Amino acid sequence: MKTRLIQAYKQAPWRIQLQWIGLFLLGVILIASVTGVYLNISAQAAASGRQIQSLERRINNINNEITQLTTDLAYTRSTKNMMARAEELGFTLLNPHEALYLEIPGYKPKEDLMLAPPRENLISESLIVRSSYRTSIWDWILAQIQAPLITPAQIEEETTP
Amino acid sequence: MKPPFYPRYIIIGLACLIFGAAVAFQMVRINYTPFAMELIAKSEDYQGVRKTIYPPRGTIYDRSGNILATNQIGYEVGIDLKFVTDPESIAFAAASILDDQDYVNVLEMASTERQFEENRYFVLSSYVSREKIDELTLLRENYAQRRQESKSSKPSLAGLVWTPMQLRFYPEGTLAGNVLGFYNYFSRETAQGVFGVEEAYNRLLTGKPEKVFMPNDPYLVEALPEIDPGASLILTIDREIQYMLEKTLTEAINWSGAEGGTIIVSDPTTGEVLGMASTPYFDPNNYWEYQETFPGITPYNRAVGTAYEPGSVFKVITMAAALDSGVVNLDTIYNDTTGVYWVANTWPIYNWNFGAWGQHDMTGCMRHSLNVCLAYIALERLEADLFYQYLQAFGFGRSTGVDLASEANYPLRLPENNQWSVIDLATNSFGQGIAVTPIQMVAAISAIANDGRMMAPHVVRSVIDRGQQYNITPQVINSPISEETARSLTQMLTTTLKEEASLALVDGYDIAGKTGTGEIPTQFGYTSGLTNASFVGWGPSNDPQFVVYVWLEKPTISQWGSEVAAPVFRDVVEQLVVLMKIPPDNARLQIFGD
Repeated sequence: MKTRLIQAYKQAPWRIQLQWIGLFLLGVILIASVTGVYLNISAQAAASGRQIQSLERRINNINNEITQLTTDLAYTRSTKNMMARAEELGFTLLNPHEALYLEIPGYKPKEDLMLAPPRENLISESLIVRSSYRTSIWDWILAQIQAPLITPAQIEEETTP
Repeated sequence: MKPPFYPRYIIIGLACLIFGAAVAFQMVRINYTPFAMELIAKSEDYQGVRKTIYPPRGTIYDRSGNILATNQIGYEVGIDLKFVTDPESIAFAAASILDDQDYVNVLEMASTERQFEENRYFVLSSYVSREKIDELTLLRENYAQRRQESKSSKPSLAGLVWTPMQLRFYPEGTLAGNVLGFYNYFSRETAQGVFGVEEAYNRLLTGKPEKVFMPNDPYLVEALPEIDPGASLILTIDREIQYMLEKTLTEAINWSGAEGGTIIVSDPTTGEVLGMASTPYFDPNNYWEYQETFPGITPYNRAVGTAYEPGSVFKVITMAAALDSGVVNLDTIYNDTTGVYWVANTWPIYNWNFGAWGQHDMTGCMRHSLNVCLAYIALERLEADLFYQYLQAFGFGRSTGVDLASEANYPLRLPENNQWSVIDLATNSFGQGIAVTPIQMVAAISAIANDGRMMAPHVVRSVIDRGQQYNITPQVINSPISEETARSLTQMLTTTLKEEASLALVDGYDIAGKTGTGEIPTQFGYTSGLTNASFVGWGPSNDPQFVVYVWLEKPTISQWGSEVAAPVFRDVVEQLVVLMKIPPDNARLQIFGD
């Protein structure tokens, strides 16, 4: 083998050099590719980071706008303003002695105000998926270190739904 | 055989090893020096900003969903020296637009040499209004245009920055201000609710602030954590009723010349407070004026914060105890022959007019509000132990636990206390020598209006937290008297109002109630001639849906509750039945039957 290589080199030395150059270029291309991919991903990550910052700012601005609009609406609908507007429109306060009460069949009095869904009973999270499918290897190792006395049978018992 | 120069290689190798180890040691050591720690801490400043995110404070609604307290956006205006290029323009803008700034001061700040991180940013004004910020924005745009036209770097407002921040806003102004309390938002780190609902529910309303690190490095940027806003509250207060109460109370005070007053309306079946007016009124939007509005010991909310001698309205409680225990019945006769009742042959008790009223049954005693009759019942029928047992069962001597801050409580003087004497039993029976808060009276009376079940008074109906609404269940705190006693007492007090043609009577509605005129003690006894005029009433008598308590402090037009507080009660109830949509008795009986 060694003799053949020496012979080949003696006959056409450029072949070996070419092989080395080829290998070197391959390495360069490989590094360039990895660098390119890395740069691309980094650029995307940076752009995403900036986009997140920008979106956070927008969320803040929108929330502030909502808050301000809610406040403006509350002020517009305040008793003092509503009374003034009612007076402008020609309404007057009802004289209690002039109130007329009628029976309206099927009338339902106003129900309690609900501004959000009622409280639901909190159902404890049931282990539908085995913990072995939800635990990373690192978490598993840590668990083993922290609880070395638990037998495999106990683990199986614990993780079986 | 060892190679030549072997010892030299060994020496060089060892030297390199020692040098390497020394470098490694030094590297580790440097990392733990105080200077390094300081440097690491400082480097964190460049990595990003540590910021506390304060969740928006919860909104407070009335029972119909009208907003009583919310947040609005204000702006903090400051100078970031890093970007300042034209201090004069900044000083001009700040001085001409912001109210509390003057040119020289701002110029000095904006011209400061930026040396340390600490002095990079100066706050000029906090909670600047949106209108002012719009003016600054307009000016900045004008400057930008002028720079473009003149191709110069001035004028410029670069470095003048504003950031939004939330401040508390009460759209109704003074309405229900004494119930709501206020939020002292100027110093965000120490801000908290003061008085009323804002203080009682401060933790819930505030939510949980969270500290986050916001990196400058875009590779490390992550979405900010979701921070739940503070819980919102739905009150039992009805905005319309509250407005009516405050308006009526203002008119009543102007008419009667009283120093102050309070009116409470509550639903006896649930303990919900539907309205609570108390003077002086206060606009929580200007909370810094608190000291001027409430000088000295003026209570923020008289309805819960002041204990006073209620006078004859308290006879309702004595009569309830006497009827429930069976020591008297409706037909029991008391013969008032002299108009005076001697306590332990030492202290005389007189009627309100110092007259003798002859023979009366219990209804007559209540109708004519006879002090001697009630003193007789307390001393000779109930006796001390039973009387005070009932008082405690009605909740006197301890706080009601109403969910408002700063509830006052005046302890009961009981026979086992050294300071107690038998005269206390006599005077307590008609509401003197005993101090109660209006909310205590309302809670106690709710037991009579609600078939003997005393409900816990409260002002919060629901809590909205993390997107879910928790409705608060009304709670029975005690049953001091039987249903039968409650009904017969209600009937008795309905009759007494009718028979005396009280100014509290409301056309079309049967109402049960009792007036009260409590003398105000001074250091020399009851010598001032000033009184607390009160009236407590509930109705409609056959299906009580409201309890109304009126207290006017030191009225000058008349000292009697029957002349001052009773007509105010009537004014309130006449409007209340419309707002609560309670038809007159005949219409109601026609529609709903008996």
